[in-house]
Amino acid sequence: MPPSDYDSQDGSGSLPASPVAASISRVQKARHTLNDVSPSLFRSEFSLPYRRSHPSAASLYASTLSPPASRSQSPVGRPPSRIAAGSIFGAAPNNGLALASGAGDTPGDPLNLILRAFVPHVAVYTSEDTDILLKEKGFNRGLWELLRPFGERVQGKVIIRDSNGSSRTYEDYSIHFVRFGEGIVHPEPVTAGLRPASTPRTNGASEKSSDPRRGQGIAISDVEAVVDRHLSYAEGSFFSLAHSPANNGLDIDVPSPYYALYLRRLLSGLPLAPHETFAHPVACVIAISSRNPTPIETLRRLYTESSTGDRRLPNWVDAEFLRYYVLVHEEERDDITRSMSLFDQMKRSLGLHCHLLRIRGTQSVATDDDSIPLPRSEWMSAAEELADLRRSEDQEDFEDPTRYIFESDATAIRTFIREMVTQSIIPTMERHVSVWNDQVASRRRGLAGRFVGLTKRWGFGSNPRSSVLGQSSGSNYDSLGFYRQDAAEAIMRKLADYAFMLRDWKLAHSTYELLRTDFNNDKAWKYHAAASEMSAISLLIMPQNLSARSRAETIDTAFEAAFYSYITRCGAPYGALRCLALGMELLRLRGGSSVDSAAKWGIRLLESKILGPIGDALIKERLAVCYASKQGMGTHLWGGRRRKSALWSALGAEAWVVQSKYIQAQRCLNEARKTYSDLPSGNGIDKFNYASAFLLGIGKQLNENLESGGRDDDADSGDESDVVDEESEALDMRGRRISTLGVPGGATGAGLETAPLKAQLDASEEQDTGEAKDDFG
Amino acid sequence: MSYYFAIVGTQDNPLFEYEFGTSKQGGDGLPHFSEQARHMNQFIVHSSLDIVEEVQWGGGQMYLKCVDKFFNNYVSCFITGGNVKFLLLHQPTMPVSTTSTRSSTSIGANPTSPQTEEAIKNFMLEVYENWVKAIMSPFYRVNMEVRSPVFRQRVAAAGRKYL
Repeated sequence: MPPSDYDSQDGSGSLPASPVAASISRVQKARHTLNDVSPSLFRSEFSLPYRRSHPSAASLYASTLSPPASRSQSPVGRPPSRIAAGSIFGAAPNNGLALASGAGDTPGDPLNLILRAFVPHVAVYTSEDTDILLKEKGFNRGLWELLRPFGERVQGKVIIRDSNGSSRTYEDYSIHFVRFGEGIVHPEPVTAGLRPASTPRTNGASEKSSDPRRGQGIAISDVEAVVDRHLSYAEGSFFSLAHSPANNGLDIDVPSPYYALYLRRLLSGLPLAPHETFAHPVACVIAISSRNPTPIETLRRLYTESSTGDRRLPNWVDAEFLRYYVLVHEEERDDITRSMSLFDQMKRSLGLHCHLLRIRGTQSVATDDDSIPLPRSEWMSAAEELADLRRSEDQEDFEDPTRYIFESDATAIRTFIREMVTQSIIPTMERHVSVWNDQVASRRRGLAGRFVGLTKRWGFGSNPRSSVLGQSSGSNYDSLGFYRQDAAEAIMRKLADYAFMLRDWKLAHSTYELLRTDFNNDKAWKYHAAASEMSAISLLIMPQNLSARSRAETIDTAFEAAFYSYITRCGAPYGALRCLALGMELLRLRGGSSVDSAAKWGIRLLESKILGPIGDALIKERLAVCYASKQGMGTHLWGGRRRKSALWSALGAEAWVVQSKYIQAQRCLNEARKTYSDLPSGNGIDKFNYASAFLLGIGKQLNENLESGGRDDDADSGDESDVVDEESEALDMRGRRISTLGVPGGATGAGLETAPLKAQLDASEEQDTGEAKDDFG
Repeated sequence: MSYYFAIVGTQDNPLFEYEFGTSKQGGDGLPHFSEQARHMNQFIVHSSLDIVEEVQWGGGQMYLKCVDKFFNNYVSCFITGGNVKFLLLHQPTMPVSTTSTRSSTSIGANPTSPQTEEAIKNFMLEVYENWVKAIMSPFYRVNMEVRSPVFRQRVAAAGRKYL
């Protein structure tokens, strides 16, 4: 795949834009076709049967319309040559992950998604004058909105030292900027016994008036709605083109853009919750602008507000996070010498964690010479993207949300973020990790640590079953349902999360393991679920081989515990979904027998009924990929899972048809047909009459719908006849005729329940078996 | 408890299909599959051939026990010397919780219990005996469907007897 294809900035450059060219190129790979076709979408003459969505809304859907590899708008720019992601088939069975070799380098790759979802969160807290400055620059939501896309890829290499003192270099480090004090999800007071999933929350009553799941962080329904809109948009767009969706194959290495989007939205906007500390701020950017008349006083005021005032975070959030002071200097209006002297003053009085950010105060437009488009944030939360999409549908005059900034501003911000991450955030985290590891966690490791744990368990809580939770003197678990920030468990959880964010998987895993038992003893179920989840995930990410037995013992029990705690004990379907979806992806990447385990969890997820229709179909599609990635051995590929893969493709097609997502359905159906026809027997599923009739039924339904929806169907119907030809050829080769090709549906065999095969007798065969029957009788 | 029994030839082609229900514990012997299950049964049985092809090399046994599970459907397999697979899909009426400690002795309630395994084994052996007799017909060729009503009756009788 030549990366130069994707390098054009606005996507309309030298690519073939005419529909003829597009239909010719349909033999190429799907991603190429998508890329070729999408520019012509946005040309006005093609907007006839368009949905009501405004053309300028197209940029909202760019993440799924453009191929996942074409992040040409990235503020940093992608490295010129990408190492091809390690193929499943190249790796030995049950191999560990090769993190260092760039296995997770593909943007849509699930492993990469995980690495970039659980990253340090940096809060942004600004003075009013900074907000005004940014508003004049065109950013209504302040400095946060401007910084956010740049945090998603920190420029250059980031060196991290792990707990053993060895350094590793990462090229793809990222951080997430959040608004200070946003997304807080309060814990619920502990009540005895299990609670059903639908219990209304006792706190946050004002928030949940409209949506009962607001205030609980990420709602699965929001994620579903976002992906649904992307899918509908694609349906609407493709029908206006002479485009055949038939050539989109199943790609094992690159997940479908919709699945990647689903996972990404699932993982973005992590709520600030007590049971996991990923979203707790690691640092807080406190910013003032050069317009401020009383700069030092304002900084002090902002600091006080963020630590003791009414904006302070709840007492389960560690308040000792790093404060990073930023002076935003406006190039056009303010005097640089004055700002420099102010900056020196800041450094003297506030310490070294300071930065002078020089940006231009005027709004940049696309026609400016040195303007570059500011990419949309990839990690905006589902609720936020949904609001954007709704607005684009409701308003007729929806303007293109793409913002432009000056090249010089982009450079300044990149330098700022790089400096902050490498010189302040990473060293602070490393220091915290080593201090907490020495002072808190190491006491719990080893023989003495176990003894402490036992004393706590048996000495104080001699009758843990009868005592009311939180009242047992040995437990730090508050009766309000959380550990205070200074409790040993809370600090250890932070230690584990910090280690995870610094990619020190070993330390993270061992700490999560310690925490699991603690939380279990305290009956802190949500904490227990989260710790079990991350324990399994960190173990799976670790690049080492796992035997089947240890996998069954550790990983499966951890996922089981996490799933049970999330669903049954806490009623938190989001956690359960995230845990199993990530577990499935990581197990799949290990290959070998782990693939079966991955599929088991995927099916478990489907069984649990926590998914909406979109997620259901996506997981079915994903299960097909999952099974397809298990390689067989020998000439007959024994031990492969091709039939299972085809089955899940067929089920995925069915699920998409029900939701009228015909393009996706066509993709799945073609995949199912292809996998079936590749089977060594050559028969596929054709000999099973009901099953093949079912497939034909879906195909027929798709033909009708794609024909009625499409304007120019030559490509579609041509493809269909191709497929049918292919089938009948295969059958002729076998020297048999199958009547279901002509006769649709199960009508042929409907009346013959006990002997459905009789419906398809060939004349000659009937004679044959007639004779045979005589002999039998 | 409903059963779907299929004999699959070496080219993934069904040679014989039969649906029936349990006759134990007051069962009426009729299948209670939903309309949708008709094609799903075929899909499931076909997809479990993947597992069979892996398991068949594991040991020298012809009866491979319960090889596959698809939601609430369990697939047991018996493989003959001619690489013909007897696949029995059984669907308990009530979903089975895998973590249940109380193991019920009834065949219908617990598809992975030793009692069920044993009953299915007996069923398979009896079918196998009849199968060998049926395909000894001089007019039978490999991978040809078996439409003998006698064979069908005997499979039904075995089902009534053991399942």
